Amino acid sequence: MNIQYVGEHLLIGNIGNLFIVISFVAAILSAMGYYFSAQNKLPSDSWQNIGRIAFRIHSLSVLGIIGTLFIIIFNHYFEYQYAWQHSSKALPVRYILSCFWEGQEGSFLLWTFWHIVLGNILIRYSGEWESSVMTVVSVVQIFLSSMLLGIYIFGYKLGSNPFLLLREHLDYANLPFVKISNYLETLDGRGLNPLLQNYWMTIHPPTLFLGFASTLVPFAYAIAGLWQKKYTEWLKPALPWTFFGVMILGTGILMGGAWAYEALSFGGFWAWDPVENASLVPWLTFVGGAHVMVIYKNKGQSLVTTFFLIFLTFIFILYSTFLTRSGILGDTSVHAFTDLGMSGQLLVYLLFFVFVSAFLLVKHYKHLPKEKDEDNITSREFWMFIGALVLLISAFQIIFTTSIPVINKVFGSNLAPPLNPIQHYNSWQVPFAIIISCLIAIGQYFNYKATDTKKFLSRLLISILVSIVISVIIMLSFNTFNGYFIALCFTSVFAILANLNYLFRILKGNIKKAGPSIAHIGFGMILLGSLISTSQSETISINTSSVDVSKLGKDFSNNDNLLLSLNDTLKMGKYFVTYKGKKKEGINVYYAIDYLEKDVNGKYKLSFTLNPLVQTNPRMGNIAEPDTRHFLQKDIYTHVTYAELEEENEESSNEFVEKNTQSLQIGDSLFATNSIVVLESLLKDVDRKKYNLNDSDIVVAAHLRITDINNKTYFADPLYVIDDNYVSPLDAKVEALGLKFSFTKIDIQTGKVEIKLFEKKSNKKEFIVMKAIIFPGINILWLGCFLMIIGSIVAIVNRLRARN
Amino acid sequence: MKKIHIVVIVVIAVAIAAIMSTVADSSTYASFTVAQNNAGEEYHVVGKLNKEKEMIYNPEVNANLFSFYLEDNEGKELKVNYKGTKPQDFERSEQIVICGKIVGNEFEANKILMKCPSKYNTGQAGELPGNTAKP
Repeated sequence: MNIQYVGEHLLIGNIGNLFIVISFVAAILSAMGYYFSAQNKLPSDSWQNIGRIAFRIHSLSVLGIIGTLFIIIFNHYFEYQYAWQHSSKALPVRYILSCFWEGQEGSFLLWTFWHIVLGNILIRYSGEWESSVMTVVSVVQIFLSSMLLGIYIFGYKLGSNPFLLLREHLDYANLPFVKISNYLETLDGRGLNPLLQNYWMTIHPPTLFLGFASTLVPFAYAIAGLWQKKYTEWLKPALPWTFFGVMILGTGILMGGAWAYEALSFGGFWAWDPVENASLVPWLTFVGGAHVMVIYKNKGQSLVTTFFLIFLTFIFILYSTFLTRSGILGDTSVHAFTDLGMSGQLLVYLLFFVFVSAFLLVKHYKHLPKEKDEDNITSREFWMFIGALVLLISAFQIIFTTSIPVINKVFGSNLAPPLNPIQHYNSWQVPFAIIISCLIAIGQYFNYKATDTKKFLSRLLISILVSIVISVIIMLSFNTFNGYFIALCFTSVFAILANLNYLFRILKGNIKKAGPSIAHIGFGMILLGSLISTSQSETISINTSSVDVSKLGKDFSNNDNLLLSLNDTLKMGKYFVTYKGKKKEGINVYYAIDYLEKDVNGKYKLSFTLNPLVQTNPRMGNIAEPDTRHFLQKDIYTHVTYAELEEENEESSNEFVEKNTQSLQIGDSLFATNSIVVLESLLKDVDRKKYNLNDSDIVVAAHLRITDINNKTYFADPLYVIDDNYVSPLDAKVEALGLKFSFTKIDIQTGKVEIKLFEKKSNKKEFIVMKAIIFPGINILWLGCFLMIIGSIVAIVNRLRARN
Repeated sequence: MKKIHIVVIVVIAVAIAAIMSTVADSSTYASFTVAQNNAGEEYHVVGKLNKEKEMIYNPEVNANLFSFYLEDNEGKELKVNYKGTKPQDFERSEQIVICGKIVGNEFEANKILMKCPSKYNTGQAGELPGNTAKP
């Protein structure tokens, strides 16, 4: 059966596919050209020209793929599966970019894009290294381009094609609507995952992928160094790239943390989620690698370790790609990609480079220059080397626990991740952080062993004393005397001071050489800020409900969430909070929460208002986004954890619901949601005609006086009727307040009467359940991030200057 | 013996300790039956929400208690008490992973992870963050 489909744009998809094929073929050609050129070792030859031209063609076709896919998404061509799955007509234009990298194919494209940018810079500036380095880059590009092919070879699917039509896609081809020839007229896309509809998600992925891509350059230089037997010469051109990569990858990771902090409901910026870990681990080995590169440059030591760490970094990038994209993390992570059936291909990609690096390292091991003399324990380099090893073990610990699903797969075991992952990771990573910050501090004093020991020690002593004073002040102000806290607090302050000292005493504020010191100060502040903000964070939304939760078990004391009814004011920490109502704007529902403080006169004063929101998304589920008030010394984070979103429809909200039943004496009162009800009197004299009652019926009326919030008074007289020995009460309503009363019983002995109160559903007070956390000192963390980036930039500029 | 050898030995020792601690800290995926036979031990249980039975969440009474019935992969059903708020769109979840232990005849969960289906049944699951409560 052939259906003539209406309104499809098939040409653009064909163009896109053509670009995919060209980019793949050109990458192979480029790799071949550069490979033979590097083998021939001629300064400039035709093989190199072939490689260069092929890489340029490859670059242009990658740009072509990106442009084509962008046009498809931008114009809502939902006949293409990628546009249909990741965007919708209602999506604001500013999130179009996020759609682009929501799917695996798009994020591979983003990664490829950065590789071609870096590749073209290398073609221009790497000089004699061009052929060998670009061979590695091109081989990587062959693998990445193949991820987009989407063709079948011997029944195995190679890559996933972003230009596949919806009606041709295996998973969707059987949907009923794609059998209708004009299905496009009514088709809308499924939209972007609400978690990605956030400004951080337009800048975090490109930065992180640039970080991933930048690990390729030192890797390519290291491979080229072994291959070309230029065992040490590769370090000089690779060093600025390494610093650049450390900076960008670090920034990308921290942006992810900022996204989690600002937009996710984790309640913190770092949760040791497997996906976060997968990008942190290569950063740790990369930092280690950068430091041993510096050691080699200064002293000619640790070359093997340098190769090892640089190789490991790139391999960890590939491994984390495998972890996050093969679907293997499935149950353990909240934001891994789903499986696209490419795990085999990803594994080949990973194993190929593991094999190549291991092979080259083993093959050339005996030729590598080794240090002859024993390491001097008082040299700065020795301690830098130890620091790099600590980073390596730290990375190993993280990746091992993160790999539990992989271990299960390989060994058929049934391990689940630790029940308390944060505690598990912290119990290892906090001691590592203590050692690292200590090394960062002490390292600053070791370089100058030429100065006399007494002076050196006295300077060290001064820094230590000042650090102790500052740490004690911090400890006292938070009233915390936990051992780990004291240790990390002291060492990170020490690291900051030692580098400040170095910056002003040794470098005399010479900004050109200050890069490492500034970056180290930043790192110390990141550690200090994370320590204070996470260990001293305080949940102030403590549940004050009177219900005894302890009967549910001793451990059932979690009471972090607070119920807040509309216009009610509750005490929360030193604040008083009021829920002022909600407002719908587009797909977002904003909840206004006023924070009040009592001033000296005991009067409530509005301090600030927070507007946490719930993003409604009928297809993928609603997402709550916190709102945070930033102060200099702390943040107040507020998050709606539960709210009833569905609007009650007219009919059901007019229904009466039984509220309570109470026995009352004359003069007693009962409370409705919006009013107070008092039983004034019981009347026996009732106008029977008005109620259509027989003279023989026994009738008593309860005369109720109802006063609402505005002191307006209403009356209601529900009747107690005994008609031929049957009790058949007649209800009375107060429409204005949505109340109904039923007089159901008279107790002759006590003289009490029973009144049932009904209220309209719409009377129910609106409420939210919220959580509020104070994060002290988090600005130290962000300032630290900023300084680390600045320091790295200064260091890169300085290295580049040294090269010219 | 060179200093570097001592360093290498220390590194290897720490690495082995890290492996052992991971194994010691790791939990196990288990069924309700296993969890009941080892009451008090913490487990990960994977299962489906029983949508026929009631889900109890009364924030007016206790905002930090949410109860529901979960059927594990062996088909055994148990009441689960979760100390936290009811996660958004809980009803739509396709698969639920709960972490916690058996107390009495009920399962006490301190963490819920859920997988939500996409609108069309394609076997691809879009994931939502569960309320990761800090225990």
